[in-house]
Amino acid sequence: MKPGYNSTVKKDVHFQVNNQQVSYSGNPSARMADVLREDLQQTGTKISCGVGRCGACSILVDGELMNACLLMPCQVEGSSITTIEGIGSKEAMDPIQEAFLTEGGFQCGYCTPGMIVAAKALLNQNSDPSITDIQEALAGNLCRCTGYASIIRAVRKAAEVLNVQAANEKS
Amino acid sequence: MPLKNDGKIRPDGIEKVTGSLKYLTDRRMEGMLYGRVLRSHYPHALIKSIHTKDAEELPGVKAVITAADVPGLNGFGIVTPNQPVFCEEKVRYMGDAVAAVAAVSKEAAEEALDKIIVEYEELPILDTMEKSLAKEAAELHKEGNILHRAEQKRGSAEEAFASCDVVVEETYETPRQMHTYMETEGGVVVPEKNGGITVYMGTQHGLKDRFQLSRILQMEEENIRVVSSPMGGSFGGKDELNVQPYAALLALKTGKPVHIHNSRKESVRAGIKRHAMKIKMKTGADREGKLLAHQTYIEADTGAYATLGPAILEFAVEHASGPYDIENVHTKGLSIYTNNGVAGEFRGFGGNQITFALEGQISRLAAALNMDLHDFQAANMRKNESPGPLGHRIAPTNGGLLVLEAAERIRKEKEAELKEKQPPGKYIKRGIGTAVTMHGGGLGYGRLDPSGGMIRLNREGKIEGVFGFEECGQGIVAVIENTLVQAFECRREDVCFLIGDTEKVPVSGSTTASRGTSMVHHAVQRLKPLFQQQLFERAAALLDKSPADFYTGKGGLYKFETREQAITYRELAEAFPEKTLEVQTTFDFPVTPDEIDSGHFLYTFGSVVVEIEIDMRLGVVRVIDLQHAVAAGPVVNPKGYRGQVEGGGVMSIGYSLMENAAMTNGQYDTDNLDTYMIPSIQDAPAEMKVEAIEDLYENDQYGPRGVGEIGTVAVAPAIAEAVFQAIGTHITSIPISREILMKLGRKENRYEARV
Ligand code: FES
Ligand code: FES
Repeated sequence: MKPGYNSTVKKDVHFQVNNQQVSYSGNPSARMADVLREDLQQTGTKISCGVGRCGACSILVDGELMNACLLMPCQVEGSSITTIEGIGSKEAMDPIQEAFLTEGGFQCGYCTPGMIVAAKALLNQNSDPSITDIQEALAGNLCRCTGYASIIRAVRKAAEVLNVQAANEKS
Repeated sequence: MPLKNDGKIRPDGIEKVTGSLKYLTDRRMEGMLYGRVLRSHYPHALIKSIHTKDAEELPGVKAVITAADVPGLNGFGIVTPNQPVFCEEKVRYMGDAVAAVAAVSKEAAEEALDKIIVEYEELPILDTMEKSLAKEAAELHKEGNILHRAEQKRGSAEEAFASCDVVVEETYETPRQMHTYMETEGGVVVPEKNGGITVYMGTQHGLKDRFQLSRILQMEEENIRVVSSPMGGSFGGKDELNVQPYAALLALKTGKPVHIHNSRKESVRAGIKRHAMKIKMKTGADREGKLLAHQTYIEADTGAYATLGPAILEFAVEHASGPYDIENVHTKGLSIYTNNGVAGEFRGFGGNQITFALEGQISRLAAALNMDLHDFQAANMRKNESPGPLGHRIAPTNGGLLVLEAAERIRKEKEAELKEKQPPGKYIKRGIGTAVTMHGGGLGYGRLDPSGGMIRLNREGKIEGVFGFEECGQGIVAVIENTLVQAFECRREDVCFLIGDTEKVPVSGSTTASRGTSMVHHAVQRLKPLFQQQLFERAAALLDKSPADFYTGKGGLYKFETREQAITYRELAEAFPEKTLEVQTTFDFPVTPDEIDSGHFLYTFGSVVVEIEIDMRLGVVRVIDLQHAVAAGPVVNPKGYRGQVEGGGVMSIGYSLMENAAMTNGQYDTDNLDTYMIPSIQDAPAEMKVEAIEDLYENDQYGPRGVGEIGTVAVAPAIAEAVFQAIGTHITSIPISREILMKLGRKENRYEARV
């Protein structure tokens, strides 16, 4: 093992992933992206660049958008993490996932989990984003397949649906 | 009319948007080991010795392998297997593999790589084509430094220049582009009980991988199963073998499943790229604007090994005169070995480079003749029955004129819109540019290009389309589904598909060259009557009727007489549990009847209209709008079609404006996505339109063509033309350099410079 790789004093790190309590006893300086994928088998979070540029590993940490390839378990002690698996499931999809589906906002699908997580972070804060808002919010998420126009269509569609839902709930 | 959403959902969609789809690199297996490959330290060197002992002795390390561990052919390459699996005596580029390890963890594998000691003796680096061609240059391969020469000649361009009123001559340069699929190469190889292996790794042609692996492993093809779908993108980049041989050798040596997933850095270093090309063109026309002579000389930097370099050069040579009728054409090309990264197959396949040059010539000639670009293009555009670009017979088509007219209409609309827009401010220049292209589908004359497929009624009573294609994002699964639904007029839930598994699929050929959609269509057209006949015969036997009484429809067979459902597909399947109903076909991708190397028969056409803004202070070009018109026959899957063209378009915005996997001394200048820039959502137009021209020329029986490549081909020349329209300067190389634009801005005093 490389020097300093395993710290000798080990303390478990506690955090939540998609509302499940996790105590993690592995390497506290591992990449969260690996912890999620390897230790917790949540492979919806992808790794593509490993340096924080592509957003394939996007997750929400206490609601905030972060790159899991740049995070370590010791930084998320006590936090609540949401990955793509926690946004919706096959049986109960989030409106954002439905909008990506119906607008064709994906092709190979490898950027898609990260893209949807980033869109979720945006729509949580801004229920009616302009095109520029969307472009700013998703600027850290690269997609090589779609050319992005369909992703913009999907996020706009999701915003519409969410707004209608919100209005219905009010009335 | 621009394509609209048809409301249909891709069959693999739900798994993709929920993150539940397991890619091959996501697979984890009991007792699995992690593999890593040691790549060369130098772009060109002799290997003096390799010491693996220290690595072998590390805890957790289960195997360290080198060339000595390759039982069969120590080489791969789809056509010419001259890339060593492991280098023994010499390395020729930074991506060359020298050794590989398997260990219980990624960290242990990584550490083992550090412990392998390789002694090299450095050799002079041939990092440019000029150096490789120099007389005194060392020979990179035994056949020398020229991988391939290609030449095509029609009439006599050399003589015809004399009768031209205008002649333009220019040299164009295009960059080495990286595919940048988001999922880097990898997956798992599992040793099987019978001594064989299963390879779960992405590729664009599973059966070809199986063939190549059998040669390397000296193992019967029957004992190798390749599962190759789904993939997180490929664009041609995973067509050639990449890490499969290493995982396979390590799995066989250790008896354990071995997982390899390239880091982005390793993917950049070892993976193939688009050929950087230098293209000289000399083109002449008469005063009336008729093209008379066209001469081209291409040099392609193919890097250290062959892969499909020769075919790509031939494609570029074929398309040198593009969609134009020119009597005198002479094209020559060289594909040159260097110590740079290996160049190979990439969406567009040599067409993108040559079209950038050709359309550049056309624009320059139009300007020299003082003609409108569109009028000049139209005057020279091929006629319906014109021969192909090599003078060979092709399927008659009016696609060229149709896309040209569409582009002209869109351009005029845009011009009118621009007049309405606010002026952009004094530092900003606006321009609209157009370009057209013609692109061959399939592999071309003289290349084995078999295809085929199978339809069966599976046990659950679904009509199953079985093809040897791979899903890399392009949407072949939706194409199969839609084609079956249309053919049998049934529901989506009545059909399913099986692809990407060599144990279960028939020969369909490679998932490349815009051929998949076409081939699915042809296979289903052939199989439909056979399959229906068998369904009808079964139903007739069961219901005591005549086979002629039925037709296929939603959920099952219907009676002509009453228009009522006679029997469901499920009942038909269940009635004969032992005997699956199955029909299969094989055929070849249509090629030209004329014996002309690489000549294609089916072509698609595309035109592009872009609107750009150039900030002359920063030299930055922004693409405000990008619109395509594509003539590729009927649309099978509107969302997929639009997605392929839009996505291809933006990929080529990157090619035109920012992407260059440049190399210095045989090393990549960039090693990850923080320095190799591809377009982000802020670099792409927010809305794009794709117009599909679906009508085929009279009596064209060939149906829908693929559109995987066409959207990438004519974007760079359209942007170059828009730059010309904006500032009156013709650029000669891409990605368009900011420095040059800034210099121009200053020199021509087009804005008040404060520097
Ligand atoms: S993998 Fe984390 S940002 Fe690219
Ligand atoms: S869908 Fe393939 S990278 Fe975005």
